[in-house]
Formats: sequence, C-alpha cells, structure tokens
Amino acid sequence: MSEEPIIKVEHLYYKYETRDQFAVEDVNLTIKKGEFIAIIGQNGSGKTTLVKHFNGLHKPTRGRVIVDGHNTADHPTSELARFVGYVFQNPDHQIFADSVRDEVSFGPKNIGFTEEHIESALKLVLGEMELSGMEEEQPFQLSRGQRQRLAVASILAMEPSILVIDEPTTGQDWRESIALMGLVQGLNEKGHTCIITTHNMNLVSIFARRVIVMRQAKVTLDGPTQDVFRNVEELRAAWIKPPDVYTLAQKLLPDIHLDKPILPQDLADLLINAGIVGR
Amino acid sequence: MPLIELKNIEFTYRGAANQSLSNITFSVEPGEFIGIIGPTGAGKSTLCWVITGVIPQIIKGKLKGTSFVKGMSSRKTPVATISQIIGLVQQDAEAQLLMTDIEKEIVFPLENLGLPPEEINRRLNYVLDLVNLRSECQRHPFYLSGGQKQRVAVATALAMEPEILILDEATSELDPIGAEEVHNLAGLLKKKLKTVLMVEHNIDELAKVADRIIVMDKGRILMDAPVRQVLSQVDFLQSLGIYPPQVTQTAFALQNKGVNFKQMPITVEEGMQAITRVNHNV
Repeated sequence: MSEEPIIKVEHLYYKYETRDQFAVEDVNLTIKKGEFIAIIGQNGSGKTTLVKHFNGLHKPTRGRVIVDGHNTADHPTSELARFVGYVFQNPDHQIFADSVRDEVSFGPKNIGFTEEHIESALKLVLGEMELSGMEEEQPFQLSRGQRQRLAVASILAMEPSILVIDEPTTGQDWRESIALMGLVQGLNEKGHTCIITTHNMNLVSIFARRVIVMRQAKVTLDGPTQDVFRNVEELRAAWIKPPDVYTLAQKLLPDIHLDKPILPQDLADLLINAGIVGR
Repeated sequence: MPLIELKNIEFTYRGAANQSLSNITFSVEPGEFIGIIGPTGAGKSTLCWVITGVIPQIIKGKLKGTSFVKGMSSRKTPVATISQIIGLVQQDAEAQLLMTDIEKEIVFPLENLGLPPEEINRRLNYVLDLVNLRSECQRHPFYLSGGQKQRVAVATALAMEPEILILDEATSELDPIGAEEVHNLAGLLKKKLKTVLMVEHNIDELAKVADRIIVMDKGRILMDAPVRQVLSQVDFLQSLGIYPPQVTQTAFALQNKGVNFKQMPITVEEGMQAITRVNHNV
C-alpha cells in the first residue's frame, strides 16, 4: 500500500432536494491507494450517499471530492468510471443487457478496450464469478446471487483501480459471500483500492483493514478494524454490534493491544499466550 | 398433537427439472423455537411455503407427501384460513407494507376479518407495545428504519394472533442492531410461548434464541437436533458453507489445542463462563 492518497474528501456536505437535513455532513477522508475499507452504519446513515460521490453519481452540495487527482465536480461519471468501478446494492438497478456477454462487455467496449482485450476480460471475470458457460443466458433469469455476481463481473471487466461495492453480499449465503469477498481481496492484493459498505460484521472482521463508521450523516469513527471494533459505545450509538470474537476478547482480555484484526483462531492463540487458558 | 407435521414431502416447481424438496419429515410442538439454516437453494423458503399452503395453492408444482397444521391439510385448507394460524414475515419488509401509516397497516387485515372495533383496538394496542412502536404509530412506513419496518411487518402478522410465526430471512437486509431488535422480539415471543420458525443466516443471533435447529442442503434435511448439538458441529457446518458462531469457533480452536470443554459454548456469555471455568480447572 502506498502513501499516495487516491481519494480525498474535504468538508463534504450533500443534501437531497426532497429532504431538509444533510445526508452527508462535513465528511473528511483520505483514502490511500491499495486500502481495503469497510464503511458501516445504520440503514439511512449516509453510507451509500457518501460512496456515490466517489464516481460522481452524486456531486457535492458543498466541499470537494478528489479522485485520483480529478475533482469529481468537474468530470462526468462516464469519465470517472474508467478508474472507479461502482457496484450497486441492488443488481437489478445495474443490469440491463439481454445476455451475460453483452452485460459484461458493455463497459469495456465503452472505455475503448480492444476486441481481444474484451474477450480475455470476459473470460477471466466470468470464471472468477463462477458464471462461465452462462455467456448467452438472459441476466434476469439468473438467481439473485448470480445477478449480484454478474453486476460485480461487469464492473471488474473494466479493471478499475478503485472498486466501490455497495452491500456486496445481500441475498448471498455465507459461502457465496466469502467467495465474492475473496475475489475482491484478490484484486486488493493486486493493488486495487477496495471500498465496501455492509451490515455483515463477520465479513468486515475477515476482510477490511480499515473501518469507517457513519452515524446520522457524519463519520464518527475511522481507524484500523481492530481498534474500531473495540469502541463498543460509539458502535452501539451507530447501531452496530462488533463481531462476537471482539466482544469475547474485550471481556477476557480487556487490556490487550491488538495490532491486526482478529478471527476466532487468533483469539484462541491470544488466550493461550496470555495464560487465560492452559492445556 | 404436533402443531405442524410434515411427512415425506417432495416438491418440484412447475417446469423445473429437479426436486426442490426431498423426503422432508419433521414435526413442531407448541412453544418450540426452531432455527432453519442452510445455503442458498437449500429449500428453506420453499419449505415455509409448503407449510403455509402457498405451495401448491398459489405457487404450482408437483407436491407429494402430507403437511398438516393443527390437523388441517395445508394442501387443501385455504391459505387465508392457515394465515390465521401462521403469520409469515419475509425478507423484504417494504414489499409487505401497503398503507400510509403504521396503525392502518396493522389494522387493515383485522378489518378484513370483520372483527369488532373494540377487538381491533385491543389487538392494535397489544402489538404496538410488543414491538415498541407506539410512539411511531402515526408515521408513514416509508420514513421508518429497516428494523422498524420489519417490526411493523412482524406486528401486522402478530395482530392476527397466529399460534405460529414464521420469519423467513426477516433480518437479512437490516443493520446489526435492527437485526438484533427483530431477534429480541423473537426471543420475547418465545417467552410468550409462541411457536416460532426462523430461517436465518445470522447463526450468532440464532444461537441465543433457538431451542432446535434444522440444517438443510439441496432440498433435504441433513440434521434436526437441539441447538447446541447442531452448532457444536463446527466442521460439519463449515463444510456446508455455514459460518458457526464465532464463540464456538474460538472454543473449537482451543479444543484443537488440547483444551477440553464439557459442552461447547454457543453465545458470548457461555463462552466467558466456559473459558473462565477451564482456567480455574488448570
């Protein structure tokens, strides 16, 4: 991960025309290239509104959003889409083509990929999303989980350097969620910056390295996953419960310093090392 | 007599090549809280529709075997009759809400039943308190949070005073505390001796409220046993792509390192006690 900021959000305010209150209020963020970030918070806290600024689907009411050196206010989404891939929460808001092939090829074609490049990208992303052999299928006849993966595939095909996925695992079971997130992690390891919004804290604890908490349009916590998950009071105010492994760690090892996110296996090791349990 | 009794149920959706349910046999006694878990496509929602008679009366296909609710065949008894015994709440709360405020939403089906106004009022007041939405009752459902909407859907189902409540992934689109609200409500119903069937992906939450778990995969029941017995099978659940409670996973990892537990903990409280107890034994 480089130190170079790829997204800068400065005093961002956003208000929907139909509402009196700000949906995003004075948000400041610096996101570095190669980070894996989860944005969490209650339904309606402003997560989706915030991430829709990263590819210019929303333009700031006040403040600025700079993505890879581009002020999003001055560039249309079609241009920002070259380096910011945005996967919608509901795949049906995104899918429009008559076949899986057309759906996935659309983006790469529009940003000028060659035929060969499109073919190889198509093959790769369909394989990764477990949709190989479904090239000629009608997207709306796929299952919800398959449509969600198709939505991701059609964004991945453009090879965006920043990937924003809004609720990637809605309608997926645990195995499908892990498979999808594993692919996102693979992209992250290749240097892509990945930003997800989700309600699934177990997934956050496995994949995200940094967590941003939103409450009532504001960012109230922002830090390494293991630190954010130990701030129980602020999380509760934001309608979030940390994963049980953190709650258990908090109770059994209240003073321990965590230098990385923990999973059950890690907690078992910590408990043994701390002499809390013996053999 | 069991409240629900299914024997050798097999079901194939019209036009589908494969069975969605095969050889399903189980019964539910009054007051039980049963969690139904399994990967996508396991047949969990299909099972809920067979129990409520939606299959085969509304959704068609080839159904074999018998399904009884309070001794009535759910194949032949009108869905409207069964819906007075079983309240069904599904994943998308919004799709179930149709009126302009919460009060009207809850009252609508009661008026359709032709209940007298005093009775409607009594039930309305009872469920508003139960789901803790009295202060919101004049609001348009559109302005509610996801957890509140789902609680309205539960309240609407409960106002019919069903003996059985089925929650089919009722929390999957909710933030963690919204989900917890629905789980707490389910726990409260358990105390009131309602019979609850809950299809759920969040095993950590299910561990706190369920008495018994049915594990399904590919249209079959793989396991049907008391909650701890099922959730202790960490390897088995993981092989099905089900994420066991993190507390149980932690205990399992400790066990693999030679720490012995008399019984596997499945909740945070149990985990604390079990691990502290092991500590004292050393």
